[in-house]
Amino acid sequence: MLEIKNLHVKLADEDRVILKGVDLVVPKGEVHAIMGPNGSGKSTLSYVIAGRDGYEVTEGDILWNGESVLGMEPDERAAKGVFLAFQYPMEIPGVAGLTFLRTALNALRKKRGEDEMNTAAFMKLVKEKGAKLNIDVEMLKRPVNVGFSGGEKKRSEILQMAMLEPTLCVLDETDSGLDIDALRVVSEGVNALRSKDRAFLVITHYQRLLNHIVPDKVHVLANGRIQKTGGKELALELEKLGYAGFTGKAA
Amino acid sequence: MTIAVMKTKAEQALTEAFEVNAAKLPGSTAVSEARRDAIGKFSASGLPHRRIEEWKYTDLRNAMKDTLAVSVDDAVKVTIADVIVALGALAHVDAHRITFVNGRYRADLSDLAGAEGIEVTPLAAALRTAPPKVAAGLTAVGAAEDAVITLNTAFMTDGAIVRIAPEASLAKPVLMVFLRAGAEGRFTAVRNVISAGEASTSTLIEAHVALPGASLEGQMNALTGLTAAKGAHVTHIKIAADFGKAVHLSNWDVTLEAHAVYRGFQYTSGQSLARNQIAVRYDGEGGKLDLSGAFLVRGTEHVDTTLVVDHAVPRCESRELFKGVLDNNGRGIFQGKIIVRPHAQKTDGKQMAQALMLSPDAEFDSKPELEIYADDVICGHGSTSAELEEDMLFYCKSRGIPDNEARALLIESFIGEALDKVEHEGVREALSTMARDWLSAAEKHK
Ligand SMILES: Nc1ncnc2c1ncn2[C@@H]1O[C@H](COP(=O)(O)OP(=O)(O)O)[C@@H](O)[C@H]1O
Ligand SMILES: [Mg+2]
Repeated sequence: MLEIKNLHVKLADEDRVILKGVDLVVPKGEVHAIMGPNGSGKSTLSYVIAGRDGYEVTEGDILWNGESVLGMEPDERAAKGVFLAFQYPMEIPGVAGLTFLRTALNALRKKRGEDEMNTAAFMKLVKEKGAKLNIDVEMLKRPVNVGFSGGEKKRSEILQMAMLEPTLCVLDETDSGLDIDALRVVSEGVNALRSKDRAFLVITHYQRLLNHIVPDKVHVLANGRIQKTGGKELALELEKLGYAGFTGKAA
Repeated sequence: MTIAVMKTKAEQALTEAFEVNAAKLPGSTAVSEARRDAIGKFSASGLPHRRIEEWKYTDLRNAMKDTLAVSVDDAVKVTIADVIVALGALAHVDAHRITFVNGRYRADLSDLAGAEGIEVTPLAAALRTAPPKVAAGLTAVGAAEDAVITLNTAFMTDGAIVRIAPEASLAKPVLMVFLRAGAEGRFTAVRNVISAGEASTSTLIEAHVALPGASLEGQMNALTGLTAAKGAHVTHIKIAADFGKAVHLSNWDVTLEAHAVYRGFQYTSGQSLARNQIAVRYDGEGGKLDLSGAFLVRGTEHVDTTLVVDHAVPRCESRELFKGVLDNNGRGIFQGKIIVRPHAQKTDGKQMAQALMLSPDAEFDSKPELEIYADDVICGHGSTSAELEEDMLFYCKSRGIPDNEARALLIESFIGEALDKVEHEGVREALSTMARDWLSAAEKHK
């Protein structure tokens, strides 16, 4: 279970406060969506969960399976099952996608006390999981995300997720930049991972993703806090009325 | 005009060492005279210093205050097993091997059996027996006025003379091993003279390595003259890897005849001071040059790469890519001069130097120079220096890769772009292993 308690976050080298008391609980087996206007702090929340530098938690806590993750390095969090599919995945020139995936997978296995996966087993797994996401092995021989289209980057994020099998999956605007077909492929990839042992936090700006990945709950983040929580129908409501009611501004 | 300059201890000692050892240095009368002439030139010029433009960033006079005993007739016990240990990852490369210990040819540590299409002669023997005209050629490699080369001429003890027959295609690389051994640090000068016959294909590797347990100090002065005849394909690699206290002064003097294709690569690590000079001259149209290198620098080490590519004839191509990783107070220097002579139309030259800075105290100086006297040419150069990107590190770490592994992955990928220039798979893999070991040693360093 993910528990975010009264989370206050400011930028580390500025006085700007972005999150002002976020409370959120995502039990295992559930998919929760976070919606909210641009600049409301959705990505910030995802980064703080994953452990990115540049943000300071001034109050509150984030617990995953009852354990605070705030003192952990990003790789330790990953070892505990935390995974963030980035809104803007980084490009790593010179590191082949396959090398990256294999290094990550084996680092996680090592931390979990498992043996390294051999090349043959790894390649078989990549081919199998890649095929489901329309990702060819040739694409993974190229440097990570370099020269990828927006859609390719998002699909490769989901492939990483499928390979690393995290238990807390945070997806930050995975739908942006995807056409209808890619959206379906990506959603199917995500849905295939849904299980009673996994919690999902799906961040999106638009309702359309939630037609494919149907959430158990929808939360509205605005002005640094969760303003409203409801069922999947809340997303449709937001699509119609916009966020004006939550920001005090007209949409 | 002569400017009276005080001689440093090292300069004085080198001049004196010549007098003491002249009789022991190999060579006929003609060679002795050439040596005497060279030390005379050296005495007049002294070691190069920062007021000489090309040595602005590498003040050798200041850096080499002392000199070590000159290597003339060392007899250090070294076995094949020792050579293999010293070669490390390179020992796995299947190659014809010729070995020199402290600058002396060692037949017992060399294996040229089954080498077809090549003729390898130790330089010392040739210096003693060659007729005056041939000897003159052996003593006149490289720029006669260069102080490091004058020292080489004066003190060279040995090296490899390699002749690749026209049309020959060597199945295996020729590996020249220059091993530093013994408890006492030495000033050693070696010279190789390589000629690749018309339309031949060959790979030549120079490995400067030290035996574990050898004195940490050493001063190597190595000169290689290479001529690639018409249409020859030559791959030429130098690997200089030491323990961090040695001085490595290297000169490559390369001449490319028409349509010769030359791929040069230099790997440098663990040198307290390295100066890698490379001069390439095109002697016929249609020559192609691909010159690249990787240097790894930490502590207070200093690695200088200085190139002069002389497009003396039309329609030649040159490509350079040098990449350095600089940690602690390490210093890297890249000086790349491309000269395009007035009639050298259709020259195509591109050059790039890149440094990855792992510490705020490291320094990288890059000075590309284009001297273009022809109008129908394509020439370009670039230089970058950057730190590891925090965003990329976070991305790796968020996928479970620990900080040290993430850094190593990013550094390896940076240097890998240069190593990828090495087409020989075995050598490339050996270099990757060496670079990886260098990185993990950095981890232990902390
Ligand atoms: N590292 C940062 N440096 C400066 N401003 C930031 C940084 N991260 C977030 N912000 C600012 O904080 C606010 C929230 O951003 P973000 O979390 O990206 O919102 P969202 O993902 O909801 O669009 C924005 O105004 C953004 O400009
Ligand atoms: Mg965002």
